[in-house]
Amino acid sequence: MSNSKYEIGIVDTRAVIKALSGIGYDFRDYALTAFKHRLEHVISLHALKNADGLIAKLLSSPDFVDQFLYDVIPATTEMFRDPSFWRALRDEVLPEVMKSVRPKIWLAALDSGEELFSIAIALKEHDLLNQVQIFANYNSDKRLAQIKAGLLDPRNMENNEANYLRMSGHNSFGSYYTTKGHAVVFDPELIQNVTFLKQKTAITETTGAAKLILFRNRTIYQNHFLQERNLQTLTNSLVPGGFLALGIKETLENTNTSNKFIVFNENEKLYKRKTM
Amino acid sequence: MYKAVIIGGSAGSFQVITRILSSMPPNFPLPVLLCLHRLKHVRSGFVEALSIKSTLPVIEPMDKEQIKPGRAYLAPANYHMYVELGNKIALSTEEVVNHSRPSIDLSFITAAQIYREKLIGIILSGANRDGAYGLKKVKDHGGIAIVQNPAECQVKTMTETSLKMTPVDHIFNTNDIIKYLQKVK
Repeated sequence: MSNSKYEIGIVDTRAVIKALSGIGYDFRDYALTAFKHRLEHVISLHALKNADGLIAKLLSSPDFVDQFLYDVIPATTEMFRDPSFWRALRDEVLPEVMKSVRPKIWLAALDSGEELFSIAIALKEHDLLNQVQIFANYNSDKRLAQIKAGLLDPRNMENNEANYLRMSGHNSFGSYYTTKGHAVVFDPELIQNVTFLKQKTAITETTGAAKLILFRNRTIYQNHFLQERNLQTLTNSLVPGGFLALGIKETLENTNTSNKFIVFNENEKLYKRKTM
Repeated sequence: MYKAVIIGGSAGSFQVITRILSSMPPNFPLPVLLCLHRLKHVRSGFVEALSIKSTLPVIEPMDKEQIKPGRAYLAPANYHMYVELGNKIALSTEEVVNHSRPSIDLSFITAAQIYREKLIGIILSGANRDGAYGLKKVKDHGGIAIVQNPAECQVKTMTETSLKMTPVDHIFNTNDIIKYLQKVK
């Protein structure tokens, strides 16, 4: 992404949010500055000139709505982002999670394939992939099709591999994907048993009784109200003793759900749901 | 009269920023936002290194942290740092901009939109053009644009690109940046 060519104001941003609301997508509780920046990105990407152009396109072209969702939600652009988090997840959390039979692991805000393939690889390297149930939310059909095909952004491969090495992966990173021209195709078998749940803007579809929930770097795009609402939903979906992973710059401190958790790993923002 | 100072730097800026932070009046009335290029995968060490000589507390903020005067906020590794409505920090994992995350442009643009003419933007030494567009936005919104004198910079690309893009208010050596900030209200 380069700098957006177009700058829109707060009034324009609110007008787009209102239009989205009218077609069933509630972005009112996204963090305003960041969302405005995302809208500028979309306007720039599709040469829509201004907020009115974006609104007209959203209202006139149902196909564009899915493309909009694909573009407006920031993607996680790295596999194994924060390698020390992935080491802690693998070495400290998964052994606990696997004490349950076929535990549910839920990626509650799937924005790209990077996190999903990361966890699938981490599980596979311990022969655990067939012993868990993975659920993943998504909101753009285009995104889902890409993920199912194993297509991750080829521009990030150098970084992905460096992260894999830093988290001390047990295999050869190159064994998980093939290249076709410029495309990088991860082995779709890694995610063949994943159940995908479609959602709009707030988390509405839940697995229930999850043992591990990944919700990393998602509350940063939300205002306090939506953060609280989503964290409440996630808390209710975790079994006692289950784990919640946030991004390393997100915290449960000062939220209504903090008293439901103990801090399992402060640096990596891993929380464990209290048993009572 | 002003509401914030924002400083961007890359290669060759560490010593400059250390000198600036060590010379800030302890009762400095504004927040100082620091967006400095850094290794994406090294999370710790930088804030500690800057803190050693700084007269202001240097903080790597959490998302939505309230911005307070007299503190320096350092953009964390591998996150963009925005200023959000309500005078808060917002962090983002969006795509790299100008090969950078944190991107100086993004920090400067969002700060300019929030603080408008009450912002002082400073671009230091750097090997990348990131920051030049951001400084232009500070100026466009009526803020003060300052560039470290390229002749003094270890690497001139960032300051020279900024000067090409924006008619700045001041071109200062480090000592003059320090003197200027000591008088800021």
